[in-house]
Amino acid sequence: MADQVLEGSQPVDLAKHPSGIVPTLQNIVSTVNLDCKLDLKAIALQARNAEYNPKRFAAVIMRIREPKTTALIFASGKMVCTGAKSEQQSKLAARKYARIIQKLGFPAKFKDFKIQNIVGSCDVKFPIRLEGLAYSHGAFSSVSSCSVTGQNGTIVFPSLGCNLSVQYEPELFPGLIYRMKQPKIVLLIFVSGKIVLTGAKVRDETYTAFENIYPVLTEFRKSQQYGLEFIEGNEKERYIYIRLKENLQHVTV
Amino acid sequence: MATFELYRRSTIGMCLTETLDEMVSNGTLSPELAIQILIQFDKSMTEALETQVKSKVTIKGHLHTYRFCDNVWTFILQDALFKNEECQENVGKVKIVACDSKLLTQ
Repeated sequence: MADQVLEGSQPVDLAKHPSGIVPTLQNIVSTVNLDCKLDLKAIALQARNAEYNPKRFAAVIMRIREPKTTALIFASGKMVCTGAKSEQQSKLAARKYARIIQKLGFPAKFKDFKIQNIVGSCDVKFPIRLEGLAYSHGAFSSVSSCSVTGQNGTIVFPSLGCNLSVQYEPELFPGLIYRMKQPKIVLLIFVSGKIVLTGAKVRDETYTAFENIYPVLTEFRKSQQYGLEFIEGNEKERYIYIRLKENLQHVTV
Repeated sequence: MATFELYRRSTIGMCLTETLDEMVSNGTLSPELAIQILIQFDKSMTEALETQVKSKVTIKGHLHTYRFCDNVWTFILQDALFKNEECQENVGKVKIVACDSKLLTQ
């Protein structure tokens, strides 16, 4: 929480964030080994805010309010902590869960704490032409790398079994999925200009990935060159204008 | 058939248990029969609540604690508001114990 306040009030470090936009961390997933076997039923019966339904899932699901997180606690002593908004909060939460387990009488340790995933998001505040982005980055760079024609001449559908770096299939998912190789981050890019970045182990990977993609996004900014001249034009243009307007309703022009 | 024993802790269930205890201790009732009566009480309560109670109550409050273990949900609410057709009442702290009646028929 302290981080968020700082981000809001301090000027953005333009050397680190040339775009002037700092992605907000939304979720941190971490793991830790409590290094002792756990009796999950005993934990579920004694701890507060715990769920244990072994028929459905072989872990106790426990929540705390501060930092607001959820933990999955397994009988092996391994634990997953999700929902924190920063690395420190995730570690603090994991420590709190470990303490709860200790208080229930288990000799819980705190071994191999590791941040497994960081999810961030931001808004570039302009609409993006996803088709254009997909075509320039997907159609040439990735489809060519994963052969469209198979060995015996048959066509291999590119989205099946191929590791496309850019996927945009609006009938399946409205966002464009961009798998950046360096840093290895997956970005979900939406027409609205909202971006989700996932797969980072450290927050700098999220920041770097965003700075890498930002120039590309500006390149594929949806032009807003429609206006009165279009309305005065013929019916076709009027239709295009209306469609554009529908698409951009959420954008402040 | 399995039964839920949670209604034995209600006022009516406690009264029945006390009476049965008394009858067993002064020899007017065999312990086996007393147990049979309690099991019948469990069944009758479940059935009565299912078939004879038409009124509905809504409970709204701040969730303080929850638990799900052995197919039983336990909730502790703070500052809960109980509402039915006729009246409403505020309660500082409530414990709700809920079982899945589908499990009885399995």
